[in-house]
Amino acid sequence: MLRYVLRRVVMLIAICFIISVGSFYLIHLLPGNITTVIEGPGASPENQAKLYKLLGLNKPIYQQYFVWISNVLRGNLGTSFISQTSVASTIRAALPIDLEIIFLSQILAFITAIPIAMRSARKPDGWLDRAFSAGSFTLLSVPTFIVIVLMVLFISIKAGVPHTGPSSYVSFSQDWLGNLESMALPAIALAIGSFVVYYRVLRSDLIATLQEEFITMARSKGLSQRRIMWRHAFRPSSVALLGAAGVNIGGLLASGFVVQYLLNIPGLGYTLISAIDTSDYLLVQGIVLVVSVGVVLINFIFDFIINIVDPRISRE
Amino acid sequence: MSVEQEKLLVVKDLATTFHTAGGDLPAVGGVSFDMERNQTIGIVGESGSGKTVLSRTIMGLQQRTNVTVTGSVLLSGFEMVGASEDDKRKRWGTEVAMIFQDPMTSLNPVMKVGKQIDETLRVRLGMSKVDAKARAIELLELVGIPSPQYRYDAYPGQLSGGMRQRVVIAIALACSPQLLLADEPTTGLDVTIQAQILNLLEELKERLEMSVVLVTHDLGVVATRTSRIIVMYAGRIVEIGSTREVFAGHRMPYTRALLESSPKVSNASHTRLTTIPGRPPNLLKLTDGCSFAPRCSYATDKCRVERPELQAADEPGHMFACWNPLPKTRRTVRK
Amino acid sequence: MSNFPQFSVLEEAILVEKPEAKEPLGILFWICVGWIGLNIVGALFANVLPIENPLFQNYSFINSGPSLHHLFGTDDLGRDILARVIYGSRVSLSVGAGAMVIGFGVGAPLGMLAAYRRGRFDTILTNVMYVLLAFPAIIATIAILSFWTPRSLFKIIVVIGVASIPLVYRVIRTATLSVATKDFIIAAKVQGATDRRIIFRELTPNIAPIAISFLLIGVATVIALEGALAFLGLSVNPPTPSWGNMINEARTILQVNPWLVIFPSAALCLFLLCLNFIGDRLRHHFDVTEVKL
Repeated sequence: MLRYVLRRVVMLIAICFIISVGSFYLIHLLPGNITTVIEGPGASPENQAKLYKLLGLNKPIYQQYFVWISNVLRGNLGTSFISQTSVASTIRAALPIDLEIIFLSQILAFITAIPIAMRSARKPDGWLDRAFSAGSFTLLSVPTFIVIVLMVLFISIKAGVPHTGPSSYVSFSQDWLGNLESMALPAIALAIGSFVVYYRVLRSDLIATLQEEFITMARSKGLSQRRIMWRHAFRPSSVALLGAAGVNIGGLLASGFVVQYLLNIPGLGYTLISAIDTSDYLLVQGIVLVVSVGVVLINFIFDFIINIVDPRISRE
Repeated sequence: MSVEQEKLLVVKDLATTFHTAGGDLPAVGGVSFDMERNQTIGIVGESGSGKTVLSRTIMGLQQRTNVTVTGSVLLSGFEMVGASEDDKRKRWGTEVAMIFQDPMTSLNPVMKVGKQIDETLRVRLGMSKVDAKARAIELLELVGIPSPQYRYDAYPGQLSGGMRQRVVIAIALACSPQLLLADEPTTGLDVTIQAQILNLLEELKERLEMSVVLVTHDLGVVATRTSRIIVMYAGRIVEIGSTREVFAGHRMPYTRALLESSPKVSNASHTRLTTIPGRPPNLLKLTDGCSFAPRCSYATDKCRVERPELQAADEPGHMFACWNPLPKTRRTVRK
Repeated sequence: MSNFPQFSVLEEAILVEKPEAKEPLGILFWICVGWIGLNIVGALFANVLPIENPLFQNYSFINSGPSLHHLFGTDDLGRDILARVIYGSRVSLSVGAGAMVIGFGVGAPLGMLAAYRRGRFDTILTNVMYVLLAFPAIIATIAILSFWTPRSLFKIIVVIGVASIPLVYRVIRTATLSVATKDFIIAAKVQGATDRRIIFRELTPNIAPIAISFLLIGVATVIALEGALAFLGLSVNPPTPSWGNMINEARTILQVNPWLVIFPSAALCLFLLCLNFIGDRLRHHFDVTEVKL
């Protein structure tokens, strides 16, 4: 177990290092003089000096990295030349919105996918199983950006449900109920994508688990069907589910970006796309770095949970 | 009828048929026998002879899909065939319990073994958490697991095969069943562990006043431990009788072939074991005749077209199914 | 690769092939193949088809619904939606095919070689790939595309293709491992067959069904990804039509012209559905029993 955790931590550090190098190097993909490209031709000399200091531009490239990373580790991601606000504070303001969308969508996805997959697996090829298997297979081919566009078209515009359309975002601190209303569509759109994945993964794993001898053994102990499903079948199968959830997180963030972009919700995705449009490269770089490290960390945590749920894994 | 109700187990004309893509597969057919309390009987046969299916059918563990069970299994007077899952569930664990063949797969790999024992105690006997844990540790001790309070928190993967099988036995015994079905309880284990487990079962049977059905392919296992033996072939009983009679006075050629193919301690070293020629029949393509006929050196044309029913031998309770039985002589019992 | 949720469903099915009892492909399979074929033909011959120029702006027909004149209607600049949907498939198809050529071209040989050779080569390569797999590829894709300007179809193909390499590597390696440890491979080795012969005559045909069904699913995933990038304005620049950027353009005038969303969405989803269905049927046809990674 300890060896396993150690190995994982080493890998985590390696990945974070690669991410930081990648994010650092992004700036150098830009054509031409970096200060001009980033701050525009009319930038003030004092802003240019600030950027030089942040990026260490007068030094060789590997030293530039150390200058940059030591700034980053101290929480200094630079100052956006457009809004003149610090990148770190912009990210801090936007991040909770992404987390809220993801949190809500995952709750929705889990509370629907788990019971339906359990039902499905109990009678494979029953009507419920057939319907959901076919339905989920079809939905697998509908990208989230289409789901959300169609939802806006049919729910907000055609059916005229209020507070759901573009630009109806209300912040949580301002009005929590209104916030939930405006988050409903994004959360449902993301939940559909996750549901499809979780349902299919859990269903197929459960069907395999239910064939196992230890399930027959559990029956022979005189346990109820309910208990067998939840205590004996679900737990080993939930490993696959958690694995899928962990793998899903990057895609989920990206789907969140798409949804925010359409509905003008000022989360990281919306901020990122606006920053790309306005060539606010430091902000783009900051968001990329934070999001990438976040995804890797979440994956790491999921790995850890899976390990606790299924002790077989670290022993292998 | 009243006599039968007193018996622990009465099996009559039991048949289990699986409906497979290749056709109907009669895994068990026409099986009848009964069993007194505090008795140990053995069911022997090659792999594929239907003994495992038989034990699962007695227990009523077959899933409902793609399988038909006919006939009757009276367990302390209760009809198990066709009973609802709820009714059967009330009897599982408390009246009849099962030890599974492979301890590597029959324990839940992600649940502590202690929890797997006290789950039964809590659900079936309504014990409190604390009592159940104490009892589970007692049971672990009973089946001979050293330092049971530590093993309680072990996952199956952390235990050896022999240990796991002991845990499986502990689970089966948790609610003191009257009948224990042991399906090849030692097949997956080392020879030295096998004897330990079998002795343990025998000892526990005496101590807890259970009845045991010992299902095995190994005649050596049942020779000293059972009072009666059922020999199965291709899903049917071909010979049944007291252990002594089956060993010494068997009439069915298959029984003899089985006996001759198992090694005995009394044999001189380097004694060549006889093998049974051919293979067990494909159950999807059974003929009308005796299923053993293709492999039997005594087979006649009659054997190939007409199936022999069980007929009584001289000794009461000894029956065999053969048109050309071996002569009634006492053969030397080699155990 | 964290950005491809479909993979996580389908990827568990790394396959072990059983030769007998092939499940029939069924009529739906051939309908799907036909639809994919039709799309490919449409994309290849778009300029000789009797459709309008997708860039031609006809201001007397703005946001008109479907009619005999414009079967799918026109957009806010009076361009014919049918023509734009057909031309738009060119982007999706090129990205799908191009990215998978890169992904399979690099990932598949490496995966096969690593599984066949084992040893240190395998250990190092597999660890490197696992590190790359942990990388949130979709974020990286967005990041690189936003900095690597000006954007072009070629750059998009390269970025997505490279991002798919570790995933293809893992799938092919696992599939090869399941075959390479089988007796007939060992027998071939014992008989003195050359490595080249074993790889091309024994391994390749045996993992081909797996590779093909995974390839189709990969193409579908990549096309969906390109659609999302185009929707975010990170793919080919307008006025070149693509399914994703058509939906992006439609998003501001949803109220006025829903057809502008409906048709490209339907085209994209139907195409993806057919690809996924073909991949899934092939897996069943080759009776791939699911083996966990």
